[in-house]
Amino acid sequence: MVERLSFYLERSSPLHRLNPTTKLVVAFTLILVAFLGPGLLLPSLIFLLILTPLSFVGQVGREFLRTTVRLLLPLFAFLFVMQSLFYPGGKTVLFGFWIFSVKLEGVRFAFLTATRVLVMVSSFLLLLFTTHPGVLLLDLTQRGLPASVAYILASTLQIIPQMQAKAATILDAQRSRGLDTSGSLGRRIRALLPLVGPLVFGSLVDVEERAIAIEARGFRSSRPKTSLVEIEDRPLERALRWLCLLAIILALGSRLWP
Amino acid sequence: MRISIEDVHFVYPGGVEALRGVSLSIEPGERVAIVGQNGAGKTTLVKHLNGLLRPTRGRVRIGDWDTAQVEVHRLAQRVGYVFQNPDGQLFCRTVAEEVAFGPRNLGYTPEEISQRVAEALALAELEDKAEANPYDLSPSWRKMVALASVIAMDTPIVIFDEPTTGQDVRTIRRIERMIEMLSQRGKTILTITHDIDFCAENFERVVVMGQGRVLLDGPKEMVLGMEAILAQTYVEPPQLTRLGMRLGFEKTVCTSEQFLETLRRRLDHPQSDPRAEG
Ligand SMILES: Nc1ncnc2c1ncn2[C@@H]1O[C@H](COP(=O)(O)OP(=O)(O)OP(=O)(O)O)[C@@H](O)[C@H]1O
Ligand SMILES: [Mg+2]
Repeated sequence: MVERLSFYLERSSPLHRLNPTTKLVVAFTLILVAFLGPGLLLPSLIFLLILTPLSFVGQVGREFLRTTVRLLLPLFAFLFVMQSLFYPGGKTVLFGFWIFSVKLEGVRFAFLTATRVLVMVSSFLLLLFTTHPGVLLLDLTQRGLPASVAYILASTLQIIPQMQAKAATILDAQRSRGLDTSGSLGRRIRALLPLVGPLVFGSLVDVEERAIAIEARGFRSSRPKTSLVEIEDRPLERALRWLCLLAIILALGSRLWP
Repeated sequence: MRISIEDVHFVYPGGVEALRGVSLSIEPGERVAIVGQNGAGKTTLVKHLNGLLRPTRGRVRIGDWDTAQVEVHRLAQRVGYVFQNPDGQLFCRTVAEEVAFGPRNLGYTPEEISQRVAEALALAELEDKAEANPYDLSPSWRKMVALASVIAMDTPIVIFDEPTTGQDVRTIRRIERMIEMLSQRGKTILTITHDIDFCAENFERVVVMGQGRVLLDGPKEMVLGMEAILAQTYVEPPQLTRLGMRLGFEKTVCTSEQFLETLRRRLDHPQSDPRAEG
């Protein structure tokens, strides 16, 4: 039950066993390389040849692909329509209809932007799917991240699934009292409006209760804290992280000196 | 309206097998309590009755409707369900609006709506709080708002999920009066509860669940006497019932009236029960 409140999917895979910081570093590297690196196809190759295979190594391939598509498809459709039609300064007209004309530059730009966003979102999804948020933050705090920053990160990581769970409960309650939440968009929006109040209010109450709870367990105590959980970090992974740094520098270099 | 549950299995998306073949049939006007250990599948079962959950296998019928074919908001005409947790099921600004929400969706006329709201508020003793914001009330009053908002829908079947948990005796009495009233109007009432005294005093039929199955089902005098089976799902018969058993009563007693009556009879004719010696 509790696990459903985060994106984390419990499996036993090599990817799950990796040190969380390694995964975080890899995710950031892939994103930076996708944004800085050269070539029109680089981001899509990163997605197809690195992220997708990795998701199957992590035994979360199906969820990974499904969630990525669901999250990004509407955005992509919008990007392509807007950019291919309205990209400023496009010359090469691919085809035209009525008063519109689709230009090659626009399509290229849309494709690049879309695949970059794809890499950004999907590498974080993969990280969240295969890393328990608690373990990730514990590892980061042990590496010197202030506990209060970790707390803020943790609450942001969890706020969306939490809100979703709450919204689902309220929707269930409303349907159980005869509200038709299917059908027209107007109807759905009207069904959602009453949700805003309780959702925000409920979240505020949660925040206060959680603050009291962690304070009662010595959150702000200044003594050094020990941890029950040991997180593995192998030399190989350390090497991998240096490699990531190298990749970032290379990508940056390709941007500065093309 | 008859409820018929036929060999229902249910698996949550996470893979938890919450129901493993449940069959029950409940006649119109019955008062049924469902008891059983935490995680036995009680909430999962009743969520099938108003369509919030659909069986993975098997069938649930409410009257002539198969819940798998009918949308939740339509089933709300027949089944009212008060959630286990009052927070999350309240979303209106005032208690009166909250209580009117259901009847309004069911398409009653304005006069009918205001009449049902007034009645439900009276039953829940909420008249003086009609204009309050539900979230300004204490949790136990919020629960009453949740109860009133479902009762106002005037459905033939009413389901309460742990109505008495965390309530003081006064609120429990209030809930008992509500159940009595609804029962007099011929409603079918299903209540999940861990409060075995509440169960023994207010319901005729008891269904005992454990690990996704129905372990016992029958009149409370039969069910509450089966101490060994009840123990499997961590339910203890009421204290009076256990005392009655230790005293060697032949029939299982569930309420203080039954207990006193049996005791009186035994004192009048001590020889009629040989086990009473010593
Ligand atoms: N949304 C859910 N997702 C996955 N598993 C769930 C979900 N809700 C309940 N379960 C699991 O299903 C099983 C039955 O739960 P259910 O809530 O029906 O029990 P219950 O008898 O109502 O218990 P309680 O007395 O604690 O309310 C439990 O093992 C529970 O962990
Ligand atoms: Mg329950």
